[in-house]
Amino acid sequence: MIFTRSDPSGFHIEIIPPKQDSQKLEEDLDLFASKFERVMESGFTASITDNAMGLLAFQGHECIKELGLRARPDQILIHLNTFHTKQNLDDILESCEKLGINSILAISGDGSPRLPKLKPSEAEADGTASVTSVDLTRYIRKHYPSFAVGVAFNPYEPEEHEFEKLKRKLDAGASFVITQPIIERNAAVDRLLAEYPDLPVIVEAWMSKKLFLLSDVVGYPIPEDAAFDPIGTLETLLKLYPGCGFYLSLLGFKTQYSAIEEMAEERRNSK
Amino acid sequence: MKIVVCVKQVPATTDAKIDPETKRIIREGTKAVLNPFDLYALEEAIRIREWVGGEVIALSMGPESAKNVLTEALSMGADRAFLLCGREFAGSDTWATSYALAKAIETVGGVDLILCGKQAIDGDTAQVGPGIAAKLNIMQAANVMQVDEIGNGTLTVRRMNERGYDIVRLQTPALITVVKDINVPRIPTLRRAREARRIEIPLWTYKDIGADPDKIGLAASPTRVVRTEPPAIRNTDTLTISGAPADAAKLLVGEMLARGLL
Amino acid sequence: MKVNEYEKKEYRNIWTISEILGGEVLPVSFELLGIARELAAKRACEVWTVVLGSGLGGAAESLISYGADRVILVEDPRLGAFNDELECHILERLTAKYRPEIMLGAATNRGRALIPRLAGKIEAGLTADCTALAIDPETGELLQTRPAFGGNIMATIRSVEYRPQMATVRPKVMRAPVPDLNRTGEIIREETVPEDAAGIKEILRVVERKESSVNLSEAQIIVAGGRAMGGPAGFQLLEDFAKRIGGAVGASRAAVDNGWIGYPHQVGQTGATVQADVYIACGISGQIQHLIGMQSCKTIIAIDVDDTTPMMKLADIAVKGDLFEIIPSVINELDERVRA
Repeated sequence: MIFTRSDPSGFHIEIIPPKQDSQKLEEDLDLFASKFERVMESGFTASITDNAMGLLAFQGHECIKELGLRARPDQILIHLNTFHTKQNLDDILESCEKLGINSILAISGDGSPRLPKLKPSEAEADGTASVTSVDLTRYIRKHYPSFAVGVAFNPYEPEEHEFEKLKRKLDAGASFVITQPIIERNAAVDRLLAEYPDLPVIVEAWMSKKLFLLSDVVGYPIPEDAAFDPIGTLETLLKLYPGCGFYLSLLGFKTQYSAIEEMAEERRNSK
Repeated sequence: MKIVVCVKQVPATTDAKIDPETKRIIREGTKAVLNPFDLYALEEAIRIREWVGGEVIALSMGPESAKNVLTEALSMGADRAFLLCGREFAGSDTWATSYALAKAIETVGGVDLILCGKQAIDGDTAQVGPGIAAKLNIMQAANVMQVDEIGNGTLTVRRMNERGYDIVRLQTPALITVVKDINVPRIPTLRRAREARRIEIPLWTYKDIGADPDKIGLAASPTRVVRTEPPAIRNTDTLTISGAPADAAKLLVGEMLARGLL
Repeated sequence: MKVNEYEKKEYRNIWTISEILGGEVLPVSFELLGIARELAAKRACEVWTVVLGSGLGGAAESLISYGADRVILVEDPRLGAFNDELECHILERLTAKYRPEIMLGAATNRGRALIPRLAGKIEAGLTADCTALAIDPETGELLQTRPAFGGNIMATIRSVEYRPQMATVRPKVMRAPVPDLNRTGEIIREETVPEDAAGIKEILRVVERKESSVNLSEAQIIVAGGRAMGGPAGFQLLEDFAKRIGGAVGASRAAVDNGWIGYPHQVGQTGATVQADVYIACGISGQIQHLIGMQSCKTIIAIDVDDTTPMMKLADIAVKGDLFEIIPSVINELDERVRA
């Protein structure tokens, strides 16, 4: 798994598994397989989401198994949120262990009425009313210590609050961090790097031209016609944060992938 | 045990709007999904099958696109599915729908148990379940929160009411409607979801179920919608209260009492 | 039953199905009589109510004082708890015998099971959860208005060719009349169904229990808190406030994600959608995901130090101030008014 600052060339490529309600499931699975294998070949990390936005999708581990994909366990990061039954959560973790996967991103996640929320008693989280990523991190570290657990860092939340929460995540056993998307130098990320010089930090870069989709994340409306150059922005961020890994969300495999591979190559050579 | 689960395709969100000019409901762009309450009925049916053996059959009435919700039912674990489809069914109210589904259940034949969700989120009437039981002249229990016992031609269940619950024993065949508390519906596995997509879903016309064409569809429905309109628009004139906490509290409580909110 | 113009004339009067639970007449029964009286005044007909139960005591008299002209009483020990099939049998027989023009039931757990079964049996049109009822004085046609699509549309429904015309009404939607203890009415006793009748379920046990689960979607009043609540202690304050005014506690996603309150309390796109009469948003800025879940509440009250937030602008009543001062003051004010 490539997320240390000593090997900053690592790109995490977000891959969203096919939706449960897909009406062309086999096609979607083929697409998933081709993206996944391309990421494996490039030496990047496939970062596979868990019912992102509360939309029901299949799990990464079952796609890999069912499709018989050639997985390189070090290059896979499985997202896991708090919207599962305990049975289901343990099944996912055990299945990932069997596949040799060693990294999990523990997040609170997006709920939906269809998704059961873990109960505090199930996650051994006494004294909390609702299971958080902190509790999930602690649970995974305790019962599945072979996994390195990553957590989210949101630079748009009130800063003190977010740093306090990060401390609790790290105390619970988290060992790396992925930020929310940034599109320029960010003071909270700078502070994060300064305060935790040894903590591997992966910066999320927004690879869609539709910048306004970020409105909810940043907390202020971005106009729908806002011009945005994802590749240019990524180049800038790579220079600004040379010690960080990068998480690329909504990457266009057809339009952007070759450019990304070149950038990675360049970055490797410059080291 | 042969179990039928009645499911419905509904708009994903309930925020349908009315076109101010045509006064018709705008439903474009609204995704159609399996009625959330029906998931609990499906899950319970599958658990009963896992418990006592048998077969789970999902049944729906709607446009051909409603096959999608039946595929979801199959993905969860239903064995077979049928869709009542045809323009003769269009516009059926809850009475005519109950009649058609009852005829379909008779066509399936030998059914021991029928499960329905508590209600559908688009109409919220909760009328079709008891309506089917009436047509089939079988026992019913609505708002079931737990199935205690099955066997010897009986079914013992707990059903919710405003003060707690009753434990009742029904003779099968029987119909129950279930509430959310009854279980946590499973998420389909990829393997079963792929299998489900290969299962053919037969379409049944009114002839296939031996339905009287004078008892289905809009023309045969006892109730008719004669008018739809947007609800009274919310007052967006904000009354702002500020000042010392005690004074603000006095004003707020006074205002709430005056508006009949307490 | 489907009827022609001539047969329609045989159907007369407005019936309500009264609701008894644990030997008590539920308030919704009086509310049904209230609307039935209004309709009967226009149609110049009588209001009848049917009471099925065991040991009915003074139920009939109290229903008369609330507006019933005649009360049909059916007493049977088996009617002590709700029995769908038995009650449906009795009502089928009564409707065939007396032919009411209109039948109104309560949209309670019992009513929502019994009334549609009856409608299915007697082939009558039924409209659930009406929020308004009107009548044509000449034809007796009932205009039934109900919300559809989560309250975004009001539909008006008729059942022209069928009698009786049936509708259910949720509790607290109609207003109960002021009882008149001098009102007189007739009590009609009717037979129950024989002991050995087939197709009637067995009721093994009736269990009472206090409902502890959160049911935001059915709450009339919701007090909800957001990030500004600061922690579980803040939600304890909301809990106290909610208890004081008979409401349920809701929360924004931020509060739930912080573990201050359980997920069943979350209101919004990834939580519950609510339609309470009153929604009191405490320190919730009003991100769109939250607003989607609560904007169809009838009255919105917001409490926040910052009066520029979307929630404060959307609110019917916006209280500017520190909620940790305002809420205790409101509780205090309520206590004082009760004392006064």
